Amino acid sequence: MKKVAYWSPKEVSSWLVEEGMQEYLESFQNLNGQALLQLTEDDFKKNPLSKITSDSGRHLLDKIETLKIEHHIEVHKNGHANGHLSIGINEGSNKNKRNGIPNGFRKEVVQIPMPQPERSPFPLEWGKTLVAFIYALSCFLLTTIMISVVHERVPPKEETPPLPDKFFDFFDRVEWAFSICEVIGMILVILWFVQWIFLKYKSIIGRRFFFIVGTLYLYRCITMYITTLPVPGIHFKCSPKLFGNWEAQMRRIMKMIAGGGLSITGSHTMCGDYLYSGHTVMLTLTYLFIKEYSPRRFWYYHWVCWLLSVVGVFCILLAHDHYTVDVVVAYFITTRLFWWYHTMANQQVLKEASQTNFSSRVWWFRAFKYFEQNVQGIVPRNYQWPFPCRPSFISRQVKYNRIDT
Amino acid sequence: MDSPKLLREVDSVDTQLDVHMEAEHSTLSNGFTRTVIASAVNDHGNCNQTKQSTLPNGLRKGTRKQQDYIKISVPEPKNRLPLEWWKTGIAFVYALFNLVLTTVMITVVHERVPSKDASPPLPDKFFDYIDRVEWAFSVSEINGMVLVGLWFCQWLFLRYKSIVGRRFFFIMGTLYLYRCITIYITTLPVPGLHMKCAPKLYGDSQAKLQRILRLISGGGLSITGSHIMCGDLLYSGHTVMLTLTYLFIKEYSPCRFWWYHICCWLLSAVGVLCILVAHEHYSVDVVIAYFITTRLFWWYHTMANIQTLKSSPHNYLSRSWWNPVFRFFEKNVQTQVPCAYSWPITWPPSCLKTSCKSYSMVQSARRQ
Repeated sequence: MKKVAYWSPKEVSSWLVEEGMQEYLESFQNLNGQALLQLTEDDFKKNPLSKITSDSGRHLLDKIETLKIEHHIEVHKNGHANGHLSIGINEGSNKNKRNGIPNGFRKEVVQIPMPQPERSPFPLEWGKTLVAFIYALSCFLLTTIMISVVHERVPPKEETPPLPDKFFDFFDRVEWAFSICEVIGMILVILWFVQWIFLKYKSIIGRRFFFIVGTLYLYRCITMYITTLPVPGIHFKCSPKLFGNWEAQMRRIMKMIAGGGLSITGSHTMCGDYLYSGHTVMLTLTYLFIKEYSPRRFWYYHWVCWLLSVVGVFCILLAHDHYTVDVVVAYFITTRLFWWYHTMANQQVLKEASQTNFSSRVWWFRAFKYFEQNVQGIVPRNYQWPFPCRPSFISRQVKYNRIDT
Repeated sequence: MDSPKLLREVDSVDTQLDVHMEAEHSTLSNGFTRTVIASAVNDHGNCNQTKQSTLPNGLRKGTRKQQDYIKISVPEPKNRLPLEWWKTGIAFVYALFNLVLTTVMITVVHERVPSKDASPPLPDKFFDYIDRVEWAFSVSEINGMVLVGLWFCQWLFLRYKSIVGRRFFFIMGTLYLYRCITIYITTLPVPGLHMKCAPKLYGDSQAKLQRILRLISGGGLSITGSHIMCGDLLYSGHTVMLTLTYLFIKEYSPCRFWWYHICCWLLSAVGVLCILVAHEHYSVDVVIAYFITTRLFWWYHTMANIQTLKSSPHNYLSRSWWNPVFRFFEKNVQTQVPCAYSWPITWPPSCLKTSCKSYSMVQSARRQ
């Protein structure tokens, strides 16, 4: 193709038509290539061009620039258009864009400084985790106090016999079942704790666990308090009531906290905390968290935990330690709260309160926003060695020569 | 199919489109390129040889005295809110089935309620503070009936009755199904000594059947004298109806009817309070009923309204057991149900249709 500077008016016209700028055809009838290259913005501000053009000739000027670049690449034939825009052009009257270098036509490696992202999408924010921990702790404390209060109101076994329960009709009591349940519960909690230690985003996940556990125990406080169910079995040994003896009650509370509320440790001698079952809550919740924050391929691990959880819950009922409705309600509330919280946390659209977002109508939505505001996206299941010093057999680092040097 | 013709604006001098029509696609505006070019030629008084195919869309210079109106045939958009009355029918059958099941369950459970002397009423915090008021339960039931009536009237005027009705039946049915389970597994003793429970019918199936029919025909209300059986305490069906009708009334009525919302809220709250004041249910029955109703309602509507959740893999809300049923019902509903109303009866149509102003220019073009 001929260089633009040597184009005849006819070639200019055919180029204009090709580029779809027929409106200039009449005015540029006698324009040759050189004059074309000399066009500037000022020309488009004067008559008659100002009447024809709708964008002060911007489009045409851009096209002309492209033309210049194409031709210079062609001319040099080495892929460079090194800013040698002087061929055939009157430099004086033109506004040359010196940036005629197409991208990437260089031989040396260019280092592009990437700005550091200001905020990681998963900030640790241990402060918030501490807040959640304190919340969970206070809910536990409140539950313990509530159990102690409710214990005073439990109707005695003789006056109010155990309520009819379908499960109890079919299965007789097995004595050692409750110990099994508690042992399973402890195993699940320890497994979850160990797993938690290896997570990379410990703080975020820990925060979620504490918040959900705290809220479940808070709900439990309410349901235990408002209506007191009688003991589910005659086998229950409830410690005697301490009418108004605050000191003894305080000691009882301390004993219960120290023992973790388990019967195995001998701390749970109080009755009345039936609706709903705290043991079911812990068994279900630890299983849900274990499954959620462990790799998908550990399916055997998930199955084992699921079995443990199910057996544990079954043993609660087998031991006639809770009514069936306690266990069912506890399962329902735990799973719903867990799924609800995680759906909200994983979908950005649900983190804003709006007319369509019904999930924002829960009372804990504000607390949720406080905890999850800065978490952008789904927390990945990443793991890392918890301790700063890495044993040598664990580190396997591949060195990439070019990038590392 | 007709080539879509373009409706051109009167003044398009400012727009300059960079679209070039290739020769192959020039069939679309061939008829017009000639006239435009001819007019441009006339305006400028020059003769030009131009390729017809390269006229960009909408590029016109100068004013046109003669307007050409071109009809654009838009394909009918897919209906985003299909009515599908048959699905509503299924939901209705589901709700009816669950109501009948609840009634049967109440009859069964009645046989197992411990007698008042053997099992005195359980200690309840609300009962400790507030003594029983006799007529309170009638108030609660009247409120319930008023709310149901209001909701029904409102439902009649909704435009998308079938979709909303489907949701109501499904949620109500599921709540009553849950209730069947909880009343069956553990039987609570009667909350007060005032309760008159009908005598137990050990094994007399026919009498039991009669009781079931009586309960169904009376709607389960004590006012109608149909609810003489005891034991259906955890959780409270009255609370479910009061709460659910209020939630639906609020959700599917215009925002500006705030006075209406407040009234219904008051009715609902007073109704629930009266249940407790009448010592007809334990507090835990009411609290759990409220919790389950609101959660299920919000859960269902969140899933239904936020379209991205339907296909998102991280939607834990889809782990509920009723998710397949939900997908069956809401599969073709692609957007949030708008707050639109229409007359329930479409006859006579001509009197009720609003007449649009006729747009002479467009309509005359249409007639061509």
